[in-house]
Amino acid sequence: MQVTLKIKRFNPEKDKEPWWGEYKLDAEPTDRLLDALNHVKWYLDGTLTYRRSCAHGVCGSDAMQIDGRNRLACKVLLNSLGSTITIEPLRGYRVIKDLLVDMDAFLEKYRSVKPFLIAHGPEPEKERLQSPEDRERFDDTTKCILCGACTSGCPSFWGDSEYIGPAAIVNAHRFLFDSRDEGGEERMEVLNTLEGVWRCRTIFNCVEACPRDINVTRAIGEVKKALLYRKV
Amino acid sequence: MVKPHEYLTYRGGPGHWSWILHRLSGIGVFLFLLIHIVDISLIGWGPEVFNKLLFLYRHPAFRVGEVALVAAVFYHAINGVRICIIDFWPQTMSYHRKMTYAVGIIFAVLFIPTAVYMLSFIIK
Amino acid sequence: MSGAGKPRPESGLELYAWIFMRVSGLALLFLALGHLLVMHLINNVEVIDFKFVAARYATPFWRTYDLLMLWFAMIHGVNGLRTVLLDYIGARGWRVLSLASLFVVGFVLLTLGSLAILTFQPPTAP
Repeated sequence: MQVTLKIKRFNPEKDKEPWWGEYKLDAEPTDRLLDALNHVKWYLDGTLTYRRSCAHGVCGSDAMQIDGRNRLACKVLLNSLGSTITIEPLRGYRVIKDLLVDMDAFLEKYRSVKPFLIAHGPEPEKERLQSPEDRERFDDTTKCILCGACTSGCPSFWGDSEYIGPAAIVNAHRFLFDSRDEGGEERMEVLNTLEGVWRCRTIFNCVEACPRDINVTRAIGEVKKALLYRKV
Repeated sequence: MVKPHEYLTYRGGPGHWSWILHRLSGIGVFLFLLIHIVDISLIGWGPEVFNKLLFLYRHPAFRVGEVALVAAVFYHAINGVRICIIDFWPQTMSYHRKMTYAVGIIFAVLFIPTAVYMLSFIIK
Repeated sequence: MSGAGKPRPESGLELYAWIFMRVSGLALLFLALGHLLVMHLINNVEVIDFKFVAARYATPFWRTYDLLMLWFAMIHGVNGLRTVLLDYIGARGWRVLSLASLFVVGFVLLTLGSLAILTFQPPTAP
């Protein structure tokens, strides 16, 4: 099949404004969009810049806006898209070049929720045990690959880049609801603010965008509810 | 910086549209509330002033606006109930799309007959 | 990135605002829809005039009803608009200015409305 990729290009060293590059190519319907991007880069225009690594939906490098919605280029098959595909960089982040965006602020917010186990008291001799039921409690939020599709698809984040964002809250949820973790108070301090969970307006764009099918809004809702019963 | 029109060009799910409508209807009802307080306070000036003002409210243009107001209040109320349900019982968020569609259906069932009823007075 | 990641002092204000929006919203579900039903559907602007309002305010029930609705609706609306302004206005100066105007307008109209409901004297019926 013949497809046309319409890609938003921007090189800050040369361009004043972003511009649209159009690339026509032959592809198999079962090719991933990432294959088409690789084809453009390898055979049509070597200056095209984007992130990709594992190419199998695990590393979370190639999140981008595909036909107006944030998805991973390696998890979208061409047969699920039209013959003209519009590709833009993730919204709300500074564009470094073409589809490559600066994720530093995103990762800094991720770090702010302390995404690691915090446990006081003497260290056990073997591993810290947990019942399957307790593990189940935060199973959904262990799936995050930090691709940034949810945060960049969130209208609250578009309006206010200081918002900590769904991805960071998902990773806070993963430890808040872990029975072995004791860092709840430290994390809640960051989350119980205007730029924390209360900026969430339950719009569900994050759920629609998540390539790992995490119910992000539900995770945020559970954190809100935990805050509610802690205080009231 | 995300531009205003880009809030509409992103292809979010039904939740995206319900959020936009909730916000717009909320702002609309709030602005009406401000005007409504001013006009009702005129009742303190006595029957002449107050009854004169009512001619304005009986104007057909205003009565069509009244139908829009009812639409905004109905939508904001029904969608608000959905928000309360998902906030207090986050497990219901697994059905978020269905719940958003349900809001649309309940709104249509309540609003369409009401609008027909209200418009019948204007046409008379 | 300025500020990102720095834990800010938690005041709990946003939590209480969030709870208030839901509680007042549920109260308004009955108050505002009841008001629409009585004043816009069963009765409408064709029958409502000074005499109608005077008769309505002769009993404390409707005054209490209207006063409750006014307060809930005004605070719910002001807080709703506050969230909208906080979402879109990032520059500190504009943020303070827009929020201050919102609170002033809200306070003035809440006072005006409360006075109208509380001080209205129906002309004594013969």
